[in-house]
Amino acid sequence: MAPDAKDAKLSHTAAMILQAIQAGFVYGFSIMEMTGLPSGTVYPAMRRLERDEMIRSQWEKQSIADAEQRPPRKYYKLTTTGRATLEGARKRYPLLDRLIPTAEEAKSR
Amino acid sequence: MRASTHRLLQQAILLSASWLVPRSTRADWLKEWRSELWHAHEAADSRTAEQEFTRFCLGSFRDALCLRGIALRRRPLHSLAQPSPHSFLRSFPRHYFGSAAFCLMALCAALAISYGLAQLLPGVRTESHPSNYKVRPGLILIQNAFSSDDSTPTIPAETYKLWTARRQRYFDALAFYRIGRDRASAASNDVEVWNVAHSSTNLFSILGLPVRFASPGDAAGVILSDAIWKRDFAANRQIAGSYVRIGGRQAQVLGVLPEGAWRLPGRADVWLLEPNSQNSGTGYVVARLTELGRWEMQTPSVEISSYNGDDTDEEFIGFSFAQRTKGPWSLYEFTVLLAFLTLPAITSVALSESHFSQHRPSWTSTARRWAFLGCKIALLLPTVYFASLDLAYGSAPSYSIPAQYLQLLSSFSMCLFGLRWILLDQSQRCPVCLKRVTHPAQVGLAGRTFLAWNGTEMICTGGHTLLHVPALPTSWFGTQRWMYLDPSWKVIFGGSRVG
Repeated sequence: MAPDAKDAKLSHTAAMILQAIQAGFVYGFSIMEMTGLPSGTVYPAMRRLERDEMIRSQWEKQSIADAEQRPPRKYYKLTTTGRATLEGARKRYPLLDRLIPTAEEAKSR
Repeated sequence: MRASTHRLLQQAILLSASWLVPRSTRADWLKEWRSELWHAHEAADSRTAEQEFTRFCLGSFRDALCLRGIALRRRPLHSLAQPSPHSFLRSFPRHYFGSAAFCLMALCAALAISYGLAQLLPGVRTESHPSNYKVRPGLILIQNAFSSDDSTPTIPAETYKLWTARRQRYFDALAFYRIGRDRASAASNDVEVWNVAHSSTNLFSILGLPVRFASPGDAAGVILSDAIWKRDFAANRQIAGSYVRIGGRQAQVLGVLPEGAWRLPGRADVWLLEPNSQNSGTGYVVARLTELGRWEMQTPSVEISSYNGDDTDEEFIGFSFAQRTKGPWSLYEFTVLLAFLTLPAITSVALSESHFSQHRPSWTSTARRWAFLGCKIALLLPTVYFASLDLAYGSAPSYSIPAQYLQLLSSFSMCLFGLRWILLDQSQRCPVCLKRVTHPAQVGLAGRTFLAWNGTEMICTGGHTLLHVPALPTSWFGTQRWMYLDPSWKVIFGGSRVG
């Protein structure tokens, strides 16, 4: 983990995306839906987060996608650095938890 | 717009955006976006308009620019914690406009544009292929001595007839032509007005111009220009022997003059070859010199006196055809030479380097720097050639004196100022990475020039060098100096490599 990850200043957009991924919205379109941000903001922000090693992406297995007759998706998850950075961002943006409920909470609503 | 059209448009948007992404990640990126689009369609209800998905796809452009920015320049964590959607676009001019590759690409683009225009403009195309124009040596164009402009005819047909009737010492053949506008009907029987060059029958045999489909010899008839042949006769290759009506008279077509072959004064659509008795008006005279005449005429022009029967004489000037047959290349060579000779007078840029320390760039860096300079000059010179032709012959159909002057002026100006720019640009390129130094900072006070350093300091954004340019050259600081930065500067330049 980078020593200054907790202290790194994260924009609100990036913090929302990290929070959404941690909450279980693990692919681009679902993050977009949850945050309400446009595609032109969400995807570039995710590229930067991935470049800064706060999130990591992985393609779904082709066999799973084939079984469900759909194209495979790229899933994102937080790295250790990303989790630490999000922890610091929550202090800065206290309403982050309320803005992005977990995937289970969202389904139950 | 129908849904299927929207789907096609969405795919086209994604494909277009994918070209902004570096090739290595393009396929992966496109796959992700197509997958996301598919799932977006699946998740949407029937009320969601297709425009929403199209808007969704438009976001791919910003994503692609972001990916490109990431690929081109890795930046450290602390500088990226505050992401901005426009960060790449903002940083693009600073990081890429000053690079050596961008400079060469810009010069290549200028060359491509000027060359493309040269191929499109008919006047330039004709002029840049002067091989069509090959006249026999020893020919001159005779004009009245009091007329400096060859666009106006000055020799009356009667004078020409008088000369042909007499035995000439310096000429063994004379030909006459005058340009007039006559009503003519071509193959289509439509009556048009053509520029007709009423010529003596020997004009083409004296000039030795190539005529397609037939050899005119000294026969009477009509020779068509390439443009008229293509426009009014549909480029008929069996045209020789057919008849056209010019000025109320029938004339047999003898052949077609190739494009660019005519460089004498006056623009003609057809050449009507007529016996001397029918020549009238004021026109031009072409003379073929005898051996004695050639020996006498060593200069581009020669004064000619014509004695009339009443003990009076008239003064004429004979102009050599050599200038007209040279084509634009010799003029271009002259301007390039002139520009290289003039260059030291308008710029004092020295390409030798002065350094603060003993550090010297490696020989590979030095070789690369000189190669870059050579490439710039090699790209500039053909650009100047084609651009000057575009300017000179863009509106002129073929050779003319004003067009030559325009080519001379434009070629010289572009070459001179282009070379000056190249040298100035070179002097502000970091010797290590060839990027232009930026961020000029004024250091010192003008009033303390002789006590302390006073001038402008610029820095290489790659973190390799600092350039110090004195505001006022002094005996201890006459020319600009480079300072090579050691690795301790790395912290300022973040991810950029230093040293």
